[in-house]
Amino acid sequence: MIEFSELSKSYGAFRALAPLTLTVPRGEMFGFLGPNGAGKTTTIRMMMSILVPSGGHVRIAGLDCHGDAAEVKRHVGYLPDSPIFYDYLRGREILQFIGEMHGLTRAESTRRAQRLMTELGLEQVAEEFAVNYSMGMKKKLGLACALIHEPSVLILDEPTNGLDPRAARDVQLRLRKSADEGMTIFLSTHILDMAERLCSRIGIIHHGELVATGSPQELKEKVTSGGTLEEVFLAVTAESEGT
Amino acid sequence: MNGAAATTGASGSRAVWLLTSLRLKRLANQLTVVYNRPMGGGRGRPATAGKKRNRWVVSAVVAFFMLFAYGNIARQSIVNLHLALDPGGGSRFATPSGTLSDALTRGLAMEWSLLFIAATFLSLAGRELSQPDWDLEWLVTLPMRMPVLLWSRIMERAIANPSGLLSLWPAATLLAWISGYRWTAALIGAISIIPLLLLAALFRTLVDTGLRMSLAPSRLRNLQAVLSVVSILLLYLVISLGLASPLAFVLHWARDFPAWGGWLPPGLVVRALNAPDLLSQLQFALLLMAEVAIALVLGLAVLTHQLRGGVVAASSRETGRATSPPRPQSTAAAAAPAAQARVLLGTVQRRELRLLSRDRSFLVQTLVLPVVIVFSQIVFQGRLHGSSLLAMSNATVASIAFAIAAYTLMMSAFQTLNSEGGALWLLFTVPRSIESVLGEKARLWAVLVLFYPITVFIIASVLRMRVDFELVGFAAIVLLGVPIYAVIAVSLGVFGCDPLAQEVRTKLRPTYVYLFMMLAGLYTYAIFASEWWQKIVVIVLSGLLSLALWQKARDELPYLLDPAASPPARVSTSDGVIAAMLFFVVQGITLAIFMASTHHLSGTAIVTAYSIAGATTFFLFRLVYWRSKTAGVPRVFGAGAAKAAGWGLGAGLIAALGGVGYIYALKRLDVLQDVMRESANGLSAGVWIPLLAVVAAPIFEEFIFRGLIFGGLRRSLGALPAIAASAAVFAIVHPPVSMIPVFGLGLCAAFAFDRSKLLLAPMIAHGIYNAAVLAYQSRM
Repeated sequence: MIEFSELSKSYGAFRALAPLTLTVPRGEMFGFLGPNGAGKTTTIRMMMSILVPSGGHVRIAGLDCHGDAAEVKRHVGYLPDSPIFYDYLRGREILQFIGEMHGLTRAESTRRAQRLMTELGLEQVAEEFAVNYSMGMKKKLGLACALIHEPSVLILDEPTNGLDPRAARDVQLRLRKSADEGMTIFLSTHILDMAERLCSRIGIIHHGELVATGSPQELKEKVTSGGTLEEVFLAVTAESEGT
Repeated sequence: MNGAAATTGASGSRAVWLLTSLRLKRLANQLTVVYNRPMGGGRGRPATAGKKRNRWVVSAVVAFFMLFAYGNIARQSIVNLHLALDPGGGSRFATPSGTLSDALTRGLAMEWSLLFIAATFLSLAGRELSQPDWDLEWLVTLPMRMPVLLWSRIMERAIANPSGLLSLWPAATLLAWISGYRWTAALIGAISIIPLLLLAALFRTLVDTGLRMSLAPSRLRNLQAVLSVVSILLLYLVISLGLASPLAFVLHWARDFPAWGGWLPPGLVVRALNAPDLLSQLQFALLLMAEVAIALVLGLAVLTHQLRGGVVAASSRETGRATSPPRPQSTAAAAAPAAQARVLLGTVQRRELRLLSRDRSFLVQTLVLPVVIVFSQIVFQGRLHGSSLLAMSNATVASIAFAIAAYTLMMSAFQTLNSEGGALWLLFTVPRSIESVLGEKARLWAVLVLFYPITVFIIASVLRMRVDFELVGFAAIVLLGVPIYAVIAVSLGVFGCDPLAQEVRTKLRPTYVYLFMMLAGLYTYAIFASEWWQKIVVIVLSGLLSLALWQKARDELPYLLDPAASPPARVSTSDGVIAAMLFFVVQGITLAIFMASTHHLSGTAIVTAYSIAGATTFFLFRLVYWRSKTAGVPRVFGAGAAKAAGWGLGAGLIAALGGVGYIYALKRLDVLQDVMRESANGLSAGVWIPLLAVVAAPIFEEFIFRGLIFGGLRRSLGALPAIAASAAVFAIVHPPVSMIPVFGLGLCAAFAFDRSKLLLAPMIAHGIYNAAVLAYQSRM
């Protein structure tokens, strides 16, 4: 479903992402882990055609994310790390707008917006201006925007960042449900516990280079012979620090 | 307690100093950011804005000229007041000096009061008021007592107040000079305005604290918008006193200014500066200081009272809810009109209109401010007095209409990316190209902005009580210009806007704003040109420019949020425009050199100039394309050359038939015969001209007009519009007499090129056309 082939990104002499080759099959929830500044957000932004690759390709549903940028978005829902919304638009209106931009009718867009806001616990604030939302509410509204066109692929940058424990659990349950329904999910996170619980496969990136991939279990056995995921993370990111 | 000693906190004076230097540092950084973008390593675009330019020189020059201009206005104001208020008061050019008369002092007190109010409003109308974050919220967490904090804030705002300094200092310096201080005038002037700056800072702090404690952030933004308009009007009012013909009612105010006004701080500054002796000067100064001290003590008491319950009035979330009453969930009632609107408007256009209806600041800046500014300029230049509007020429009415439209486009269409702001990411999540979104916005703004010129033309027609066909013609030119410049504004906005910039001032790149205004200025040539074909040339060229810029902007869009990458080189319409300009400039220069040496233009000179220009352009572009590995460079030969020759032959014969038929028709109708004969005589001289016409012209012109311009247009347009547009451009660069048949040749050549994809085809067509026309003309 998602294919990275030699995808890379450089800013002048600085290499933000070394050529990355990776495949995420349909229905998989893939956790993209790494320290701050490792290249997670850069990778995700190239998937959303916000950044242009310096080399290689990333394809979603067979479409090139740079070349077929508009077409790819039909299949993809995206939640950024810290979503910003328009001033003077209410949460419901933003959601409707995104729905209509995806080609839904006004009525259908309204119906889905209402359902998602209820589902994500935003119905109380649906008529408030979104700029006044707390970080957690903005994250939820962003998730609703990502889900409104019922995409087959979700790309999430730190989806539970800024959420309270209950909201974080709600979001995790929602993601689990979507994955069970066959959605492919690519998420970046710092929360190892969540990654371990939700993701069937994990990739750890460090200094722009993919240093480990596998299921949480595989990684634990291979890297630390039965340690925790935290130990795996510390080991693979420390290992390459000297190189 | 862990035993570590607690900090004692900064002393009062140290706190004032720290806060003031912080503010000055912010101001300095703001200037640095505006002139030396980008700061830090953040989002610099190496290809566009990343180059470091030492523009501080420019800002220093601008600051110097502004001080000079303000000083000059202050001088002219005194001269005007002297003329109006003092009986038999001197000449237009003599500046009064020494101790001024009572009437003039009173007039000056009025002017200074206005200046003081304008300076206060200008500082109050800054963007700080509308920003949701209030620095007092974190300053209050520092170990400082509230009165010290408030005092520091007032001092800091008094010292770091550039608009106050700019408006008051030149006037004070001038008054000090007149009053006999001479070389210490600047220093005395600076000292004398300190009390006024303190009062302005106090007033500003009182008002913005009061407003922040009682109004929701959205209302604050609306208020800030209103204040910005009021402060500009106030400033215009003061400036009007310093113009060659000041507004009569302001002079009346100066004459009727009440005597007690002279005992208020602005009046006291005037009197202290212009006191006849040291004793009265001391008296005025002491009184001034006493008044300011009382105001400060009272003001601080009010401020402390305002903040008695803390520095946060109500959470922004609650106020946000209060200003937005929930709508009924059922949309059935609104469905019918909404459905109608949906047919006419796109999703993006509806959202834009909704934002416009809610965000007063956006509304005022885009649709109100341009009208205020353009009309104030006309009013203050004394051009709009009842009868003169009637007497105004049609061209002037049209130019005013276009000026308002262009200014509005600069504030609206130019800023389409900025109005997306931080929410731009949302557009990257939907299955629509950014180009289509910008296109929707360009269309919306073009339609909205059309309202202004239409209103101006209606008012002009109603006032004159007759239908003026010349005015209708001008209206057509202006109304055609609005959509063209809407496209130009949106396109330049792609390069001139930085929607993700944190600092408001860095959201716009001034260079592109000036470029837009300059291009809009060029369009007024279509209004003022005397010949119809000159008007058409300007309109067609503007249209072509808009397409070329749109194409450049479109190439840039996928790279909008990428700090490092830039679009790969491709042949575009703008290359064609540049090539055509280069061609004509080189040709013109070469001809001028020949003219200078031989004093007449021989056929050889024409051919040589033409060949030099053509060859220079041709090879220069080939070199640039080769160096930059540009994609889509037109080829002359290649696979299918035989077929291309066939297309060229066919197209050439049709065009030639048209050309010969046109000349024949002109001859039969006995129209333009002098011109035709003259050109025939000139053209048939020697063997050079046929060589030029049949061989050189097709090679060079086809490379520019078909290869670059048509090829570039074809990237953005369908075959037919691209053929028509490139033929129109080709026609208008020829002499008016041959525009029509040349347009036909342009159509045929472009068609042949579109079918064959090789430049060989239009080159052959062009050669055949030129040969046929020359042969026929030489027989006449």
